[in-house]
Amino acid sequence: MYSFLFYLILEVVGWMFLILSFMVIFIYLVMMILSSLEMRDYLRKNQFADYGDIITSPIAPGVSILAPAYNEGQTIVQNVKSLLSLHYGKFEVIVINDGSKDDTLEKLIQSFELEKSDFAYHAEIESKPIRGVYKSTNMSYRRLIVIDKENGGKADALNAGINAAHLEILACIDVDCILSSDSISRMVRPFMEETNKKVIAVGGVIGIANNCDVQDGTVTTYRVPETTLGRFQVIEYFRAFLMGRMAWARVNGLMLISGAFGFFRTDIVRKVGGYFPKTVGEDMELVVRMRRYMCEENIPYKVGYVPDPLCWTEVPESKDVLARQRNRWMRGTIETLQLHRKIKLNRKYGILGTVSYPFWSLFEKNAPIIEILGLIYTSILIFVGDFSAIYFIALLLMMYLLSLLVSSFSVLYEQIAFNHYKDKKDLRKLIWMILTEPLWMHPMVVWWGLKGHWDFIKGKGGWGSMIRKGFKTAEDRKNLSTQSIS
Amino acid sequence: MKKILIIEDDLLISSLVQFRLKKDGYETYLVKDGNEGIKAIDTLSPDLIITDVMMPFRSGIEIIHHAKKSLPQTPIIVLSSLGEEEQVVLEAFNLGVADFVPKPFNPNELAIRVKRALS
Amino acid sequence: MKKSLLSILLGFCIAVGKLFAQDILPKDSTEWMNFLHIQNQVPGLGYQLTFSPSLDSLRAKNLNLNLSKTDSGWVSDIREDFGIFSQLQQDSLDFQLTYFIFSSQNTEEAVREYISNLMRNGDFDPVTEKVKPKEDLVAMAVKSPYSPVFGNRYTFTADLKLFVVTVIIGFFFMVALLMILVMLFLKARKNRREILRKEYDQMIVDPLTTLLFEKELDELSNMKIAEYDPYFPQSYLSKPLYQDVLIHRIIGLNKKMKGEFKEKLKTIYHQLGLDQVSAAKIKQSKWHIIAEGLVEINEMDLVETLREVKKLSDSSNFHVRSLAVSALLNLSEKSDLSFLRDQTYPLSDWQQMNYLRIIKFVSAQKQLKIEMLFESKNMSIRIFGIKLVRMLGRVDLLERLAEMATLASNEEKIEILQTYEEIGAHMEVDFINQCLKSEDLDVVKQAIETSKSLGNEASVELLSGLLENLEDFSLRLLILKSIHELDKTKFDELTLNRGNSTFVEIRNHILDPKLIYV
Repeated sequence: MYSFLFYLILEVVGWMFLILSFMVIFIYLVMMILSSLEMRDYLRKNQFADYGDIITSPIAPGVSILAPAYNEGQTIVQNVKSLLSLHYGKFEVIVINDGSKDDTLEKLIQSFELEKSDFAYHAEIESKPIRGVYKSTNMSYRRLIVIDKENGGKADALNAGINAAHLEILACIDVDCILSSDSISRMVRPFMEETNKKVIAVGGVIGIANNCDVQDGTVTTYRVPETTLGRFQVIEYFRAFLMGRMAWARVNGLMLISGAFGFFRTDIVRKVGGYFPKTVGEDMELVVRMRRYMCEENIPYKVGYVPDPLCWTEVPESKDVLARQRNRWMRGTIETLQLHRKIKLNRKYGILGTVSYPFWSLFEKNAPIIEILGLIYTSILIFVGDFSAIYFIALLLMMYLLSLLVSSFSVLYEQIAFNHYKDKKDLRKLIWMILTEPLWMHPMVVWWGLKGHWDFIKGKGGWGSMIRKGFKTAEDRKNLSTQSIS
Repeated sequence: MKKILIIEDDLLISSLVQFRLKKDGYETYLVKDGNEGIKAIDTLSPDLIITDVMMPFRSGIEIIHHAKKSLPQTPIIVLSSLGEEEQVVLEAFNLGVADFVPKPFNPNELAIRVKRALS
Repeated sequence: MKKSLLSILLGFCIAVGKLFAQDILPKDSTEWMNFLHIQNQVPGLGYQLTFSPSLDSLRAKNLNLNLSKTDSGWVSDIREDFGIFSQLQQDSLDFQLTYFIFSSQNTEEAVREYISNLMRNGDFDPVTEKVKPKEDLVAMAVKSPYSPVFGNRYTFTADLKLFVVTVIIGFFFMVALLMILVMLFLKARKNRREILRKEYDQMIVDPLTTLLFEKELDELSNMKIAEYDPYFPQSYLSKPLYQDVLIHRIIGLNKKMKGEFKEKLKTIYHQLGLDQVSAAKIKQSKWHIIAEGLVEINEMDLVETLREVKKLSDSSNFHVRSLAVSALLNLSEKSDLSFLRDQTYPLSDWQQMNYLRIIKFVSAQKQLKIEMLFESKNMSIRIFGIKLVRMLGRVDLLERLAEMATLASNEEKIEILQTYEEIGAHMEVDFINQCLKSEDLDVVKQAIETSKSLGNEASVELLSGLLENLEDFSLRLLILKSIHELDKTKFDELTLNRGNSTFVEIRNHILDPKLIYV
């Protein structure tokens, strides 16, 4: 009897893995097609756009740039200067000093001739207490607002910034990002273009600036990073930003906009109650909550995406930092999905509930677990001496080939659309990376993901019960914050 | 013969300007980006510089800075599609450029301005 | 649900197992004997042999079965090895079997049941007979008909898992190969085009420059196509890519040139027949080609195509629609805006921005009939019309605005208020005050904003009333800003000595000179 059950389970699990791998292959192929269609349309569209117009037009919306800073004393002045010199007509730069322990605030005060103002700050969204709002006495820095507050983390700092923002669109960025001077005008375009839907957010591509030459806020010469970890991330970013998000944008299913470079409609952000500071995945959580709000209010909406290279950042090239980042990403994903599990397979939430959510929970959240199970399964088959083990080894090989295909597709795709890495040597390095990455980098990423799962279960981040319960509606978050104020 | 350096990334524009100035008997040199422009300023020491402000690699402002430092007597004419009230253009004027020609422009008009700047 | 499904499945499998086990046990008695013989031993199963009494005692002894004589005949001990059957069969002895399961006597039927039970539980694995071929294998193979396809397909599909895996892999390789090939092809084509483009670019620069400087305008328009041949050879002109590069170049230059050069470029464009190319483009079905054609028409003033362009102005494609309207605004001789008025699609901000730029440019030459837009059935068009009044400073249309203001929707009211504010329409203060009493919060907000510069005593009263009723912080800030502008004493009265810290905060904010731009 026992042995029979054992074999039955082996059989059933085996079929499950087969179906799953078929799905993975199918989905990736579909994604490739969708993303190329979207990219083609985008490049065509771009031919007919005059971005010079947006800068001065009275019809273009105003943009509040929110840049939270924590211990950035070394670079803050230079970074704020380049933010202030962006090519756009109507914008303000709100730097939020999130209780830095270094001289970030002092440097800002000194360089931009700031003085504490009587700014009537109103905490519509709850955040840690504000110590002061600074403005410059110099007219050339009139766009700058500096908020000094007690430390509360990135999301908390952004919330303080949202409270002080005046303009129609919020641009949430990492202060150490390199922004191309026309980044605002390009990112604002999707907000202006839609006729019968409300565009609630627009995401952008993050490029990797390690080892590249930067001049006047634009990367002029691209070179692949020196370390293998850096190169791996180049491939990964291509896959994520050029292929994945592009495909999701095509079907209006985008669930994540990078916290380092995302644009949002201010009124909607305020309506849903801003960022949720208790999750480590605040960027994803906000987008999901905004989308959920729009569905619940029955307003047609869209989340846009701009594939132009406009923002660059230095990615971590040390293993420890990368491990921590991935662990955090995984926890952020789990937390967001957990919080909003109500939308799972719920027709009311359209693509978000029926496609994006299941995809994320199967292929992003549970992927490491599935992969490990698959490995264990195959080893059991080998151990038992089951002949079908050979299929699963073949399937593993297939997955390797799929990864090769997807990666090389992304690289080729980048070559056709933008062609940044012009040096043949760089291309060769990338190709070598594509070949070897699944063998040693991927297992590490899986491992870090598993650790993220483990840390989530252990309740790292220390706010367990709230996420496990989840919001009943998107409105709850809003109520939550107003309750705690009153 | 006066030497004129033209820094402009649009090949057609620069060759039009070159053609027109050659007719007036100037010796003209074309470069197509900021890096080459800075090099050419040092090696040629031209009598007049015509430059765009928005170009690959180096901004026109950097070039003007450089030219004013190494050849303070050389007049500079800025050729740009930006409006006269733009921040960059104002900055260029502050650095002491001789003239500003907004695009769209007429090469004949430019030739007159060149003559005036050199006299 | 899942559990019950699983148990049904399990039950089904067990049933199948049972059937399977009983099938293996032979029905007919010689086969049965044979079966037992091959097993040699079955755990817990014993038997007794009974020979007829006629068997002589010497033979009974020779069998070595330890037989003892009873009334019914010779009876053996309870044995467990069925191996001796072969010997008995050889001797063609007649005997009877009595079965014992764990030493208790049982029928053959019970034994069958018992063995199948054992098999089902996996406690006993029957040995199947290894029949040695009686004939030569090769000879046997020759006899059986050869049918490789059928046979292979059978075993192949029988193993479903193998089949599925192969299908997946096959599918994957096909698509992967296709994709890579397409990508490589695209990249190669792109590279080839890039190289050709550069080449053509070089070929075009010199002739175009010389033509522009050496020929006068009327010379150019009198030149035959053959006379252009030394500059732009006919053999190249027929190539689409060359055409494309040339069009691009001429348009690019046209944007950056002034005066006679613009005219010359347009003449060259016509003389080379490139206007035909552009006109043909807008009859294509692909939107991006139509759009390209529209851009060319717009830049090169190809007025002869305007009838066609007008048809595209209500196209379902966003880009085609926008570019067609842009071209019409730019090129149309008349100041008639009916094509814009009759648009059925809502106008996006992006389109408004583009149209505004063109209208600003065009209205320097001719007075456009913006008031036509107020009659549109499409609200976004009416709103755009109101915006235009503001952005072009058309004070002459303020009366028309006042006429439509009372019946307007809330969105239009907001725009009208904004327009009043920017133009400084002091005579409309009653309307502003009326809006301060509106139900719609957005209208009220704009009215507060507008009253800052246009309000009167009545507005101050209304604003003070609003201040008491509205809780919203940002609205209070807005109201107090307006009151501050209109009536300083009222402002002091409202904000000082009221024991309300919010009002003091707002007061300080408004009075802080650093915050004028906030």
